[in-house]
Amino acid sequence: MIFGVRHSVAVATALGTLGAVIIAVLTWKGAQVTSETFLVTTYIGLFLGALWAMYATGLVVVYTTTGVFNFAQGAIGVFAAFFYWELHVNRGWHSILALFVVVGLFAPALGVVLDIVIMRRLRTASLVVQLMVTVAIMVLLLSVVGDIWEADTARRVPYLFGINNGIDLGPSQLPWHRLIVFVVAIAIAVAMRYLLRRTRIGTAMRAVVDNRELAALNGARPNVVSSTSWALGSMLGALGGILIAPELGLDPATLNNVVIIAFAAAAFGALKNLPMAVIGAMLIGLLRAHTVAWLDFGSDFRFAHLSIAPLLLLFVVIALPQARLEVGRLVHHLRRHERFTKWWEGLIGCGVIILLAVAFSGGWLNFLIWDPGAWGSRELNSANEAMALALIGLSLVPLIGWAGQINFAPLAFAGFGAFVYLKVIGAGWVTFLGLDRLGLDPQDIRDIDNGYWILLVGLLCAPLGALVALPAARLRGLYLALMTMAFAQAMSLIFFPNPWVMPIIGTGRQFPHIELFGVTFDDRRGFFLLLMCVFAVVVYALVLLRRSRYGRRWMAINDSQAAAATLGVPVVWTKVVVYALSAVIAGIAGVFWATVSGNVDSVQGFDLLIGFNIVLLVAAAGVSIPVAGIFLIFIPLFTGLGHRLEDSGNVDFLVTLLDIMTTYGPGMLVLGMVFNPRGAIFEMGRGFSPILPWRSDARAEIAAENAQKREPEIGELGIERPFTPEEVIAIDRRLGILDEVVPKEGYGAARS
Amino acid sequence: MKNLRWIIGLLAVLALVAAACGGNDDDDSGAGDPAAAPTEAPDDMDDEMDESMDDDMDDEMDESMDDDMDDEMDESMDDDMDDEMDESMDDDMDDSDAEPVATEEPEVDPCEAVDLEATDIGITEDTITVLVMADVGSPLAPGLFQGSIDGVKAWANHVNAEGGLACRQVEVIEHDSAINPTETTNGFLVACEEAFALVGTTALFALDTTDLQTCSDAHGNDIGVPDFAYITTEPPHQCSVVTFASSRPNSECPYAGTGDRAVQSQVGHVQYLLENVSSELNGVYLVPSDLPSTIASTMPQLRSFQEIGVVVDGEPGVSGFTTQSEYGAYIQVMRDANSNFAYTGSDDQSMIKWRSEAEAQGMDVDSIIWMCQLACYTPSFLEAGDVVENTYIWIWFLPFDETDTNQELADFMEAIDDPFPPAWAAGSWADGVLFEQVVNGIVAEGGPNAVTRQAVLDGARNVTSFDVNGWWSPADYSTTENIMPCFMLMQVQNNEFVRVHPAERGELDCNPDNVVGLTSDWGAEFGG
Repeated sequence: MIFGVRHSVAVATALGTLGAVIIAVLTWKGAQVTSETFLVTTYIGLFLGALWAMYATGLVVVYTTTGVFNFAQGAIGVFAAFFYWELHVNRGWHSILALFVVVGLFAPALGVVLDIVIMRRLRTASLVVQLMVTVAIMVLLLSVVGDIWEADTARRVPYLFGINNGIDLGPSQLPWHRLIVFVVAIAIAVAMRYLLRRTRIGTAMRAVVDNRELAALNGARPNVVSSTSWALGSMLGALGGILIAPELGLDPATLNNVVIIAFAAAAFGALKNLPMAVIGAMLIGLLRAHTVAWLDFGSDFRFAHLSIAPLLLLFVVIALPQARLEVGRLVHHLRRHERFTKWWEGLIGCGVIILLAVAFSGGWLNFLIWDPGAWGSRELNSANEAMALALIGLSLVPLIGWAGQINFAPLAFAGFGAFVYLKVIGAGWVTFLGLDRLGLDPQDIRDIDNGYWILLVGLLCAPLGALVALPAARLRGLYLALMTMAFAQAMSLIFFPNPWVMPIIGTGRQFPHIELFGVTFDDRRGFFLLLMCVFAVVVYALVLLRRSRYGRRWMAINDSQAAAATLGVPVVWTKVVVYALSAVIAGIAGVFWATVSGNVDSVQGFDLLIGFNIVLLVAAAGVSIPVAGIFLIFIPLFTGLGHRLEDSGNVDFLVTLLDIMTTYGPGMLVLGMVFNPRGAIFEMGRGFSPILPWRSDARAEIAAENAQKREPEIGELGIERPFTPEEVIAIDRRLGILDEVVPKEGYGAARS
Repeated sequence: MKNLRWIIGLLAVLALVAAACGGNDDDDSGAGDPAAAPTEAPDDMDDEMDESMDDDMDDEMDESMDDDMDDEMDESMDDDMDDEMDESMDDDMDDSDAEPVATEEPEVDPCEAVDLEATDIGITEDTITVLVMADVGSPLAPGLFQGSIDGVKAWANHVNAEGGLACRQVEVIEHDSAINPTETTNGFLVACEEAFALVGTTALFALDTTDLQTCSDAHGNDIGVPDFAYITTEPPHQCSVVTFASSRPNSECPYAGTGDRAVQSQVGHVQYLLENVSSELNGVYLVPSDLPSTIASTMPQLRSFQEIGVVVDGEPGVSGFTTQSEYGAYIQVMRDANSNFAYTGSDDQSMIKWRSEAEAQGMDVDSIIWMCQLACYTPSFLEAGDVVENTYIWIWFLPFDETDTNQELADFMEAIDDPFPPAWAAGSWADGVLFEQVVNGIVAEGGPNAVTRQAVLDGARNVTSFDVNGWWSPADYSTTENIMPCFMLMQVQNNEFVRVHPAERGELDCNPDNVVGLTSDWGAEFGG
């Protein structure tokens, strides 16, 4: 028996729900339903489900056997589909040979390389780093695909098994290709389950992810096992990509987005249960096919059928019991102490930021950076957008950096802020609420200084943050990431494209220039200064907040929720507050972001990938450091530098280099987290701080680290003889035991 | 004590903020009322021009561009002008030794008679710099509209080989708008600062054209940058008064962005089917629904089809994310309604998926009249093979294989060096020709030093019939409501695009009855 009683009940419930939805839909639309139409729609749904099941199976296999949730699964499929097209269509190889080369040779090789070069180093990394690195791999793979196979040519991958012949279903037919894909998807899921449950290698795979060292002592070879897992996952991703490409066409973004459906399906199986993941995929396929067939959503909700997967993901993640959600392994080690930036240090730092911005935009630092004084409107425009995104990035600092609550939806919060701002300054609510009858003139509302409205936007965004925090309060780690991702995707598909939310205008600016204290910031240089000032103020506020009781609470729940609760920290309330704060910052930042260009692209502007990039860059810079957000300014800086170099001529190689840096830089930076998990800004700060006269602590830390480097590895100690006092100190340091406990002169000396 | 620190800190920051933010004295000219500038520009032009012209030019230019200028320009560039220009341009094209600028006295070389001057931003004594902006470098769709850049470069090379424009060589700078509103605005800013005009603009997200329409010329007048665009998808771009699109939006301007809008649509191709293929057409029309702008541009056509008697069995929206199997739902609609007509307002891949799915479902595809528009006129459509056989495709210019019938087309195909270039390469070339024609008109009237942004804007606004020297359907740039009235119909036969109507090579059907005008809130028309 494949399923237990609980699963059977769940499946029955799901199918019953599906049936009820279909009946409701049919009643609603009043569509004429024939058995033939229903049959055809159902088999289309099952076929789509089978395709997505293949992706989901790969996700589950990799997660079950390595503990890493691979956000790059879809990108592997994209790369494989393009590679297959290159061999089969462009170079004329036979389809079977091309399939073998891509799925049988290339994909496993890619998986093994990923494992050896990157994934093994993530074994002890925090969940944030693990997720960020797989997202970075996704971005890098998509960039490589875009560079190799440019989008100026439409490409089609032919169906592997032919599409025009099949089983006769009366007026319609079921093509062999779809039948075979369906059977293959089921067979793969069954085979994978058998592999994991019934074979020695499968047992070893699951053992390694539970306890690598113990598994090794029992004869498993952890490295071989993890490489095998990645090879398998990569093969399934590649096969899924090749099979779904004929359905969607070879478009990287479109193909990659399929992975979100696979996430939902995998979540349906709690990321570990293959049969349930397959059923989840089928359920999504059926829902989507029947929705397309029977439902009319109008132009306001035109992407509603695409939002089925994220909504289901949202629902499943929230509904699943917490016990099943405990995933990931946080490496608990005692830090000597977390140093807090002093209030005057923060003040000086923010002052320096503002002064640099003034000098920079005024063109007084020509000797430092490539001709910044010559920055024209183009560079300032890009810099303004980057600074607005940096402000959005700041919202992640307390949330991810301090409280450890992963959030892939910063753009959704920012967009919501922009939406609220648009509505409050438009003063339509005055009429809507009937306040005009009480003598309130909408024009008076519009004339109120924007600063008040921006603060109001912040306050109104807080409830949204709190709302998201409620389910988040019982989620952790990966599921929190998935939930926020689903939330962001649902908002980008349902909420923002609605013309009521972001009205389309015929001319001019959707978002007027901001007016603060009587000054209208209608020129880009002034707006840049304003953004820098706001950025500095928010950074300083965060510096102070980090020193506060709430800041310490957030870090406490990040270290250990159980310990924090034991100490009397109200975990749920603390999470609600940090989410609300994050939403406030993101909402206010959203106002500035929307005002930069004056108009928001409501369809692509909130794309999940843009949100990913913000999180990626802030994480790469060091998400626990408030000033890390300024890292985003490097994007327009590089771009502007490229333009200048291009204009000056004869420096093609530099332009190319900058192009590469702009395209691949963010991804590469994030991959750097494998080695510096706390981020680039953190490392830079650590290198810089010892030269500050008052930072004796930093100098002592460096000295201790250097001393530690000279000490032998723990594994080399105490094997053939008793520990010496120095070795005990070394072990204590390795274990992160507080320095205060260990006498500086060592135990031996202390005793003497 | 702790609170005191907070207060001191906050006060210090606020002081710094005030100090830093208070003095924004630098102005990058990005501000201004986009709506006011374009409408005021023509009225105030005379005074502005008088002030702006250099002393050396005053006498000459005052004659040609003062109070009488409008009349003169009207005379020189009205309907008569088209004929003259066509003749002169054709002569130029045909005779490689001919003068590059057509005048009534061709024996006089205008370039030798004057000392060339830098008359405006982007013009020097030797060069005219144009900027081509296209969505190329998006990380997920690199190279998307590279064809536009290639088209403008080919046009510039061709013009330069023929002796240049306004006695100067054309230089092209590129800007990648990257399917991004901010980068699109950046393109306008670069054009404002470095180029004389935009040529071949192919940017999908020109959501804010303020910087385009309020850019200052060399004399500080906020007149905007001439923008000879191929694609104008968003209402702000469509209604920009400095934008002249070779692919006309055919929609009423100004437009608030929502609510009713008058739109004209071409229905000649469907009328041809009704008269020659099937007197009754009923079927499914696919609406590309990813963007509000695509919905708004395709719904009028669907309603126009209904106006001439086509029965619509379904009008579902399709997205780039729609899988082929999901087209099965539309096949079922067609089966249920016994449809004989299938039209997609989306792209070639949409039609390929639709037809492939119809075959996969075992439908009798030969009983259906399949129709698509310019988006299906691509090599990749033919690469789909038998599945697209018999599909009708209508376009509004002569197809690429009829180079023997039109010199402009022949020049384009020679210059672009691609046996089947993308349509946007052709559109951007057409933009270049329009720009060239306007500049040549100015040169003919006032000499090569009369070429300014203002003169180009005025010249382009007065073009009432531009047909890319007989290659394209004529367009009227004096109004945004006047549709390109011509079309030609092709059909895929034996894996080739074969001309169906008009039968004669080199001809377009320009019957004015082919145009249907309707007014509606097109976004609301879409049922989804």
